[in-house]
Amino acid sequence: MTSSSATHSKASSASLVLLGGSIIWSLLAGGLQIISTIKLLIPLLSRLLPISFFSYGRLVPASTFLLTYGWIGAGLLGVLLILAPRISGIPFRHGRFLIVGALLWHLAVLIGFTQILWQGSTGLLSLPYSRSVTAVFFVSFLILGIGISRGLGGTWKSGPLLPRLYLLGALLAFPLGLGTAETILRHSLAPGSVQIITQLVWHSFFNHLWLTPLALVLLFQLMPSLTGRAVSSLPLGLLAWIATFTLGGWLSNSLASDGPVPAWMQSAGVIATILFFVAVLGNGVLLRPLLEGKMDEIRRNVALRFLSVGAWAYVSAYAWLTFLSFPGVRQTTAFTMVSSATQTLLCFGFLGCVLTGSIYALLPASRNVGWPSHPALTWHFWCTTIGLAITASSYALAGIFQGLAWSDPGVPLSTISSYLRPFLCTAIVGQGLWLIGQIAFSALFFSTVLKLFPTTAPLAVFPISIVDHPDAVQEIYS
Amino acid sequence: MKSNRALILVFLALLFAWIGQVAIGYVQVGRLEPILNEETNYTEPPVPSGFAQTGARVFASEGCIECHSLSVRGPIGSSDLTRGWGQRRSVPRDYLFREPALVGFSRIGPDLSNIGERIKDPAELMMHLYDPRKRKPASTCPPHPWLFEKRIAGPKTENDALPLPQINWKQTIPSYSAKSLVAYLQSLNLSYALPEAPLK
Repeated sequence: MTSSSATHSKASSASLVLLGGSIIWSLLAGGLQIISTIKLLIPLLSRLLPISFFSYGRLVPASTFLLTYGWIGAGLLGVLLILAPRISGIPFRHGRFLIVGALLWHLAVLIGFTQILWQGSTGLLSLPYSRSVTAVFFVSFLILGIGISRGLGGTWKSGPLLPRLYLLGALLAFPLGLGTAETILRHSLAPGSVQIITQLVWHSFFNHLWLTPLALVLLFQLMPSLTGRAVSSLPLGLLAWIATFTLGGWLSNSLASDGPVPAWMQSAGVIATILFFVAVLGNGVLLRPLLEGKMDEIRRNVALRFLSVGAWAYVSAYAWLTFLSFPGVRQTTAFTMVSSATQTLLCFGFLGCVLTGSIYALLPASRNVGWPSHPALTWHFWCTTIGLAITASSYALAGIFQGLAWSDPGVPLSTISSYLRPFLCTAIVGQGLWLIGQIAFSALFFSTVLKLFPTTAPLAVFPISIVDHPDAVQEIYS
Repeated sequence: MKSNRALILVFLALLFAWIGQVAIGYVQVGRLEPILNEETNYTEPPVPSGFAQTGARVFASEGCIECHSLSVRGPIGSSDLTRGWGQRRSVPRDYLFREPALVGFSRIGPDLSNIGERIKDPAELMMHLYDPRKRKPASTCPPHPWLFEKRIAGPKTENDALPLPQINWKQTIPSYSAKSLVAYLQSLNLSYALPEAPLK
């Protein structure tokens, strides 16, 4: 075995560690989410099982943490480890460190998850874990980020520019955001409501400047490769990229409806959300022609199917966020379940589908294996999309009803809770469907990686090469 | 586009988000000071005790913030004041001594910004923590029995034991965490006026 192929083997193992772990976290997160929704629907359960680590107040942050850091975060990093050398044609060095980085990421998720369940969350937005977990995340990201930054290498004059630009931004946003939030929030540098502002900024960084750009890297790299079409307008893409990174840090301000932050910040949050949506539309305009007239291919290629749903969910999630930011709507729907609808659209819809589509596209290509069961792919797709549609619409309607009921001081709290029950029932059905799909996916993934069954489903089809420098990468992956 | 130019652009954009919000926010609300009430000689908002600060961490760790907000809105566009959750809206100065400063983004139960004024009896709050349905039969709030200890009763019932029937001679005693949480809840009180937020 040559040294380059040994390095490739270790880098490939690192991506498998990240992806395998992320799928396990997703199953756990999905299960905990269903339990917490059932506990909300049937409060009697809390009385029958009065256990601290099983309480609603711990299950919700634990499942959100697993979903964002465990499933989406680790998964996107794992996929990018496969993709990065293919973007630039520059092979990895020191693949062993990447495995260490991947293991550290999962270690941080495990410690954070255990801490939240056993000791409780810190209560801070998108930062529910302790300082020690932040340190492990930091070290892990440093190692993985250096590896993934190989995708930025080489000359930028050839090859796709937009994925590299989004990758550059995302690689900077996570350490800068986490480091600053950690320093300000845990070292008592910010008094009172400045802490609230800091939490909102970090929440924006995490969702809109880290996870979203990472998913956009995959969309802009894989959709042209899978459809054989190029993005039509680079200037529009650049404009959307600049707008995404300039405005993304301001989006969560619109969450603080009449809250204890300066009024101008809330207005700025609304304006930023609307302008950000214009950038999202710009990206939508770039992605739409790639899929036009390709229905047959979308039906045939499960990777493209998931990526298309992810692209639609991307536009829908930010359209929904923009709708919620309008002052009248915000006042009514603040503190309601509409935020769960947003999380469903963003995490399960956009980020989750893009991640799944990317795994379907890249894993067979990188390991030269196929998926063992075509019906399981179809089951996964339909369970996921129907599940997320039911969950998102249930939470959206529940939130609107809840908000309207909150606005009327004559409606008591117990009545509002009873209004929510039918919506919570349908949300549980949706979450259950998503989990069934995810179980099918995990079975497919592990049986493929472990080569338990012969390949029956076709590999993802790439009409054009996803590699800009095929010779260099052929050497790495030979 | 050159890679170093892109790097500078992204870095500036990210810096703009932090400076534009946290630094300006610090200048605007981070330098607020408490108001001295000349009648009582206490500051407003009052400085919470260390015990209440400990309770704030218990509040966060138990995930109370998943169902209860800590921010009263209004009077326009919100029914918070009409529901009796406070006599005025919450303003940045109210959070001066809160560590960690939390507002919450979900309401399954009522807002707790003024719970110290609404429920003045600590025993009532303690009973709510142990079993919310003993206080309000329709409550959907989960009980927190792990914050209490079952201890064999001596010849006399301990002062802080909950007024519950003893089973197997055991009395229910609140733990340190439960007591600090109640101290924190009692410290949540917006019944003072501020120049920017007079009482209604």
